[in-house]
Amino acid sequence: MRPPGSVGAATTADAPLPSRRASGRWSSRLGQYAGFGPALVLFGLFFLVPLGLIVCYSFWQVIDYNVVHDWTIGNYRYFFSVPTYVSTLWATVWVAVLATALTLLIAFPFAYWLARYVPKRLQKILLVLVILPFWTSYLLRVYSWLTILGPKGAVNRFLEWTGATSKPVSFFLYDRPAVVLVLVYLYFPFAALTLYASLERFDWNQFRAAMDLGATPARAMWKILLPQVRPGMTTAVIFVFIPILGEYLTPQLVGGARGVMIGNLIVNFFQGAQYTRGAAAALLIAALIVLLLVIFRRSLEVEDVYGA
Amino acid sequence: MYVTSLDERFFAEQMTRGRMLRLGAVSALGVVAAGCGGSSSKSSGSASATGRSSDPVTLNWLTWSDHYANDQLAAVKKSTNEQGRPQLFSDNADAYLKIKQTGDQFDIVSGDALWVPKYNHDKLTNSFDLSSLPVSAQLYSIARDFPFWKDGSNYMGYPFSWSTVQIYYNPKFVHTVPDSWHAVLDPKYRGKVSLENIPTDMMAIAGKATGAKEPYSMTTAEIADAKGWLKQFKPNVLKLASQNNEVVRALADGSAWIGITNLGTDDRVKDAGGPVVKPAYPREGTIGFIDSEQMVKASKNQDAFPRFINAMQQAPYIAQNFLTNGRPLFNEKSYKMLVAQGHGDRAQRLLYNQPEKALKMTLKGPSGNEQAYTDAFNEVFGA
Repeated sequence: MRPPGSVGAATTADAPLPSRRASGRWSSRLGQYAGFGPALVLFGLFFLVPLGLIVCYSFWQVIDYNVVHDWTIGNYRYFFSVPTYVSTLWATVWVAVLATALTLLIAFPFAYWLARYVPKRLQKILLVLVILPFWTSYLLRVYSWLTILGPKGAVNRFLEWTGATSKPVSFFLYDRPAVVLVLVYLYFPFAALTLYASLERFDWNQFRAAMDLGATPARAMWKILLPQVRPGMTTAVIFVFIPILGEYLTPQLVGGARGVMIGNLIVNFFQGAQYTRGAAAALLIAALIVLLLVIFRRSLEVEDVYGA
Repeated sequence: MYVTSLDERFFAEQMTRGRMLRLGAVSALGVVAAGCGGSSSKSSGSASATGRSSDPVTLNWLTWSDHYANDQLAAVKKSTNEQGRPQLFSDNADAYLKIKQTGDQFDIVSGDALWVPKYNHDKLTNSFDLSSLPVSAQLYSIARDFPFWKDGSNYMGYPFSWSTVQIYYNPKFVHTVPDSWHAVLDPKYRGKVSLENIPTDMMAIAGKATGAKEPYSMTTAEIADAKGWLKQFKPNVLKLASQNNEVVRALADGSAWIGITNLGTDDRVKDAGGPVVKPAYPREGTIGFIDSEQMVKASKNQDAFPRFINAMQQAPYIAQNFLTNGRPLFNEKSYKMLVAQGHGDRAQRLLYNQPEKALKMTLKGPSGNEQAYTDAFNEVFGA
């Protein structure tokens, strides 16, 4: 079978001229991969090469502010030998799990409502509203929460106005709950858009048919809807969970000393010119992410939803 | 001379901050003239510190955010045809390694106190004849004579600003003056202390608190003591801020009662609508910075360096910088301008007229064992 875009007729006509036929085959093949070229350059030069360098750095050492090219696994050994790093890594995973779960819990009902009940023309308007925060910078979106959650912020003013508290409460800011809250806010659009794209393609007649056959709404959702939108949910999890694992800015701004994530410790390494330690820690996060992607990959396959 | 008229205007007008900003832009036209009219008539050697580049030059400048203002850069570009393009760094060690690894990517690097000889001895920067820059005549004499920046008859960097890093406290909540680093360990300040996230400096402060001889070159035992002190300190830390303005914000909105930060924080907190905060100088001593601008050895634009520095360091700009950033600088002429305009109290309160105090601090410098410092800090402040 010829790949799409091959030029069979032209090849036959050129049969007496093998060199032209060969060059035609090559140009045809090149044509197939031309679209891949820019991505190859972008990711080859600006992702894979730097990644390779980071791998090398992670096995080198810094001695007196010099990166010394002596190969060692000392940076990795150090990471696992100090309980603080392992506990910070676990804390990071838990924050990512919790924030992802909360994001999906909020985004799924929203996407469900949007796809099923809202007229098409209004859907577009609401989708624009969902992505509206992207029109401002990431930094500003995080920074604005300092104003909302701070002692003189909107939440505290509201509580004081209602009489629930007599003075500002410091509970809301500079701790892990603040980090989770802000992360949910930041990543909600990613989850909502992904889930909406999945739900929007769903044939709601199947849902109605299941209920006509006696299924309760909950059972119809569990047995009919969720299996078919599972790839969308998995994609939403990937889009939310994985970036959160590498978060640095949000815990830095709203997390305080108690809301530190592994990204913050990695930044400290780079600040202190400990590039090799930082590279090793960053690669361990990357390895964790690759492992999770391998696990998630199975959930992205939709053909076997019903065991087909 | 234009510069004279500029100075006269500066002295004559009641100088509000807004006016000063406007004046800064206007003064650009006089910057070159300032160089021409400086008291020094010495040649700068191969490169002129005055005049205008015939071709446009872009100078990549690895620096701190308080070393420049955007309107100042625009004005200097207009007068010298040299565009400063700042890139910020977060810690001296980071900047040092960047310069070491990037070759000629940067033209100027802002070095700090004992980092300056480190750059120079490692052949990453060039020393130069300070007196060849006419603007250097505006400096306090002590700033032209730091022994650790001398390289024969040359100087390793152009002196810019300095500050101690000490305690600021809100007297409404902190009733006893915290005149020792150990005061910030008091459990009643739990979650109420804010400071910048600079691991090496925090370790040095912990070293001062625990009596280390050389806080930036601690022995293994001293590092262990400093780490122990940081462990005690951690519960009281509200936030390790990425920028100084976050420390100011925490003090201003009342979420922090104590800040470990540099001179002028009281003014910045006040400007941010916050309460009165007062400085306290721990009896164990303070660490501090002396900032400079250095010429990167691998730079292809070394000829442009004297002209750019000469234009950027003019007294009106430095006075403006003081009012914006509120910590002492080394330009004496700028101090006199501030006094003449009624900012003397503020300048004196922030030690602008006492540059000799800069030498009383434990100066920032490269650590004998940076890795051990970062490791210890991370091990304390991880989850």
